[in-house]
Formats: sequence, structure tokens, C-alpha cells
Amino acid sequence: MEPTSVSEEIPIMRMGSDLLVTLQGDLGDQTVEALERDVTREVARTLARGILIDVSGLDVVDSFVARVLARLVRIVRLLGADAAIVGIRPAVAITLVELGASMSDVTTALNAEQGMARLRRMRAGGVRA
Amino acid sequence: MTAIAESPLDLIAGRPPDLLAISVVLIGGEADMLRVRSTMRACAQQAGLGLTATTKVVTAGSELARNILRYASGGQGEARIEEATSGLKRGVRAVFTDHGPGIADLDLAMRSGFSTAGSLGVGLPGSRRLVDEFTIDSVPGQGTRVAICQWGR
Amino acid sequence: MAEYPVAVVEDLDSSYTQMMESITDYALIRLDGEGVVRSWHAGAEQLTGYTAEEIIGKPVGLFYTVEDAALGVAETDLHAAALSGRHETEGWRVAKDGAQVWASVVFTAMHAPAGGVRGYVMAARDLTQSRGKELNLRGVEQMVNSIADHEVIQIDRDGRVRSWNPGAQKLTGYAPEEVVGHHMSMFYTDDDARSSVLEREMMANAVRDGSAETEGWRLRKDGTRFWASIVLSPIRDDEGVVTGYVKVARDLTERREQERLVQQQRDEIMELSTPVIQVWDKVLILPIIGTLDSGRAARLTESLLERIAADQAEVVILDISGVPGIDSDVAQHLLETVEAARLMGTESILSGVRPDTAQSIVHLGIELGSLRSRTSLKDALRLALGLVRVRAEAGNGADVGV
Repeated sequence: MEPTSVSEEIPIMRMGSDLLVTLQGDLGDQTVEALERDVTREVARTLARGILIDVSGLDVVDSFVARVLARLVRIVRLLGADAAIVGIRPAVAITLVELGASMSDVTTALNAEQGMARLRRMRAGGVRA
Repeated sequence: MTAIAESPLDLIAGRPPDLLAISVVLIGGEADMLRVRSTMRACAQQAGLGLTATTKVVTAGSELARNILRYASGGQGEARIEEATSGLKRGVRAVFTDHGPGIADLDLAMRSGFSTAGSLGVGLPGSRRLVDEFTIDSVPGQGTRVAICQWGR
Repeated sequence: MAEYPVAVVEDLDSSYTQMMESITDYALIRLDGEGVVRSWHAGAEQLTGYTAEEIIGKPVGLFYTVEDAALGVAETDLHAAALSGRHETEGWRVAKDGAQVWASVVFTAMHAPAGGVRGYVMAARDLTQSRGKELNLRGVEQMVNSIADHEVIQIDRDGRVRSWNPGAQKLTGYAPEEVVGHHMSMFYTDDDARSSVLEREMMANAVRDGSAETEGWRLRKDGTRFWASIVLSPIRDDEGVVTGYVKVARDLTERREQERLVQQQRDEIMELSTPVIQVWDKVLILPIIGTLDSGRAARLTESLLERIAADQAEVVILDISGVPGIDSDVAQHLLETVEAARLMGTESILSGVRPDTAQSIVHLGIELGSLRSRTSLKDALRLALGLVRVRAEAGNGADVGV
């Protein structure tokens, strides 16, 4: 695993043919918007086959962040890669559901390890996320 | 937690200077949203709210602060955040005010799923679901005021 | 106003006359050495009802009640004044129409240069009205002092303590001299730094609504806290202007403690009745027994998600065989729990779905979406294990690579 680029304070790591994006702390809106831009660019540049967005470091995910994440997943899919959001915390999960922030077509996993297994499963089964 | 004082005057004199009763965050830029979230988080913790209740109220505050930033004219407004007490309960109360365009049809705006070109989106009705108490007043042309309150167990 | 003939004493001049005429709520009259009325003025007429013609030349005893006159109180008063120079007294006096007036009276003896008393000046004031008030006040005071378990005190407009009572002392440990004159905030705890805002609010509410109530922690003299119930009522003068407040407070600490214990017990019962069971590695079962309101559903979801995180679960079985009836609300709660678990990467299976449950769901038009359901727990478990196995096998597949 080696760092491929750093988008402001958001590290994007490369693991084989996959990318791992780690979000943590309290993100400002501009950082979140830059995320979409930077991850898309990296997926295209590295021809990644899958990306995991790890949000276990976020204790608040509001509707804006949820929307950007869902959008990012759709964009990445159009580039031929699979995507999964991992590490949504219990309190965040409950809040997102109650908020009604729809992430219904986003693949999720408990953590990066399970996320990687999920990505492999999707590729092996020929099933897109 | 409370010291035994020699005289009543000691109690008044000994009050810590940085204990803020009400925090007011002026909302004019992105950095202020971070301030709103961190202030609400601190207040919720001080009030003894659990993790879920804290996450919900901070998220609601984030939604409401963003509404002010995006849709109030000039993005000017403020959030007043304070600890609330009522009998047995302790909680967090936050009031978000702006002098923006206001909301013409409150009923419509508060209906679940209302969205105008991805703007208000889930913000208002979603925020209401997250908190124990929610009141909204809006006068078109004058502004909007949203007051929320979240209690601990 | 008519001019009254004034018996002339040495040194009387017109400015004195004017002054006398302007005094209307005091009676200032001159008596000679034998206590006979020698001067009169408007104020004295107002107090007693007698005109100058009627009273000058009559003895001062005329003003006393029959009982007092029989006892020779008038003579006693004059004698006391002669001895000490000044004698102050209060008592019932009688006006011309027989009405009784409670008067405050001061006798001053005027001595002749050669010795002996040549006369008296009698200053009298009608206290009837204020006496009535005073009696009332004394009655109230006695009542307040007899209340030993409630704090009943007066505070002024600025929030300073004006009176104290035994109840307040018992409650807080402070003696009157330690608190009277001090500001109310001395009883607030450190937590209540917004006390000045709070108390202004309370006073404003009390004025507006007639009274204001609140509960909160207050501080005793020894530093301990107690949970107080406080009621504030405004005190108004005759013109309706607020001059202060009455504060009644009592100690609710015990009751609050009981409430807290009851709530704690309730929470513990809640916990016990919905345990999350781990049956296999990565499979959790949540048996839901009883009705599911939003509060309970929220607590259930919280504990389930925490277990998912702790146990790294991949599948959760929600068993609803113990839920009496499925309606739209219950279904909504279940679906929200399922979605929250999904956001954590967990798949859910509904088990214990009876025929009538299935019918209700369809009739109500509830969409379960991709949520799988089974009648028996055994079937649900079999499915769950299958799901876990699929994940494990596929996940072990080597990465095809670029």
C-alpha cells in the first residue's frame, strides 16, 4: 500500500488495483467537494477497479456529505470501478436513516477488510455493486 | 464539584470565567459550520447526552447551519447554542436565525422529501426527525428562525 | 380654607400660621398647663371632625375613649410629658362623630422660664389605615415564621433577599443575617452560570403571568446541593407597581432521586427484555418481544448496531414472533433498523413471520424491498449461514489483478 496522492487532508492509498480513501475529523464543505474531484481523477489515472471510502473517522455525516458520497459512487461506477462505503458508525447509521438521506444504492461494509472482501466478491461474481 | 465557601461572596467570585452560558456562532462562512458542530458537540457532552443523541443533534445543527450559509442572503445568520434544563432532564438547545428570503410555504418545506433543485433537500424535515423539539418561524422577506432541543435520558 | 382663630403664644408670626395651615395630615395643637385645647387648625379638624369653635377651651380628654378617660389616661400622658419633656404614645382616639381613630400621638411639654409646665404641644397622626395593614402584616409574618419546611422569603426588584424565614434556614443552612441584603445568585450552583439570565426571565414571567415556576439545583451553606422547586410571585404597591417578589421554595431532592431510580430501573428492564444473541460467528439474532414504539425501536436499533460493530456481524436475524401485531408504524421501525444495519454492511433477515403477519404486511401495502423473511427461526438461520459462507468463499478469491 503506497500513498498515491493527498487531497488536502484526505489521504488516498493504493492497494493493488484498488484505492482506499480515508475521511476523518470534521470536514468542511469545500474539502468534501474537492474529494469528489480528486478521487475521480485518481480512479481514472490509476485505472483502479475498486475504491473503498472509509468513513469510520467521521462522527457526523450530514445530508450534504451523504449526497456527495452517493454521487461519487455513481461517478466511479461510470468509470468502470466498483465502490463501497465502509465504517459508518452506529450513531451515524441511525442518524442517516432518520434524516432520510438516501444511500440506498450504495454498497456498504463494516470496515476496510470486509469492504475489500466485498469488492473481490463483486468482481469474482461478475456482479457490479 | 462545588467547593465549600466561606461566605456567599466566595461562590460568586469563584465562578470560572470561561464557563459560557450561551454560545453564539455567527454564520458567514464555511469555517463557522465547523464551529457550530464543535460547539454543539461540546454542549451535548456537557449536558450528558449519549452518543446517538449527540450525533443526531449535531447533524441537525449542521443541516440548519448549512441552510443559512447557502440560502440566507449574504449567508448571514447566527446559531445560539446553550445547555437546557427542565426538571429531571438536561439537554442542548440551539436557535438558528437568519435574515434571508424566508420560506413562503412552510408546510411544503416541512413535508418529507421536499427538495428544490437539490437545495433545501432533506435539511428541514430531516432535522425535525432527529431532535426532540423543533419549532420553525419564517416570514418571507424577513428571515427564518429554527429552534431545536435535544434531551438526554 | 377658613381662617382659624389661633390662640397666640409668644413669638407667633404669619409664616407660622401659613405653615400650620398647610399641615393637613397631622394635628398639631397647643394645650395649656391643664390640658385644655388652646389652638386648632385644618389638619386637626380633618383628624377629629371638630371645628375650632367647638373644641377650643375643651379638655384634651375629650379625644380619649370612654374607657381611657375613666382610667385617667389623658392625665397620665400629660404627666409623662411633663416629667420627661416628650412622651410618645399610640392608641384609640375618638372623633366628633364617635368614630374611633388609631392615632400616633406625641406630647411635648413647654416649660416656663421660672420652672413648671406652661403648656403642651400635641402632635397626632391617624394610623388607622396603616394599622390595619400592620396587623395584617404581623399576621402574615407570624404565618410565614411558622412555616418550617418551605422557604418563604421576599426579594427586592433587583433580586436581593429582603426577608428570611425558618423554612429557608432549614433548607439552606443560612441564618437571616448571612443572607438578607445579599443577591439571590448566592444560592445558584456553578453549573448555573446563566443564573442572571434565568432569574431575569423568571421575574419577567412572574410579572407577566402572575407567577413563575422552575426547578433546579441550589446550593446550601455547607456546599451541598439540593433540587429545589421554586415559585416566584410579584409584590405590588397600591399603584400596581412591582416592588419585589415573594419566593417560595421547597426541597425536591428526594423526589428527584426517586424519579431517577425509577427511570434507571425502567432502562434496565428495557435492556433485559431485548437481548441480542450471537448464535454463530458473524450471525446475530434479535428477538423482539412485545410492542414496538419509537422509543423502544430506537433503543433496540442502538444496541443492535453496537453489537454488530463489536462482533463484526455480517447477518442479523430479526425475530418478530413475539410481536403481537404488525402495523405500518412497527413495519416502519423495522425497516429503519434494517436500513441502519445495512449501512454498516449487515444483511437482515426477518423471522417468525406468521401467516396473519404476512397478510397484514401485504394488505397494508408495506414494501419490504430486498428484505428476506422466513417463518421459522431455523429457516432464517440456515439462510443466514448460507449468506455468511458465500461472503467468506468469495472473499477469499485471489485478486485478479491488473
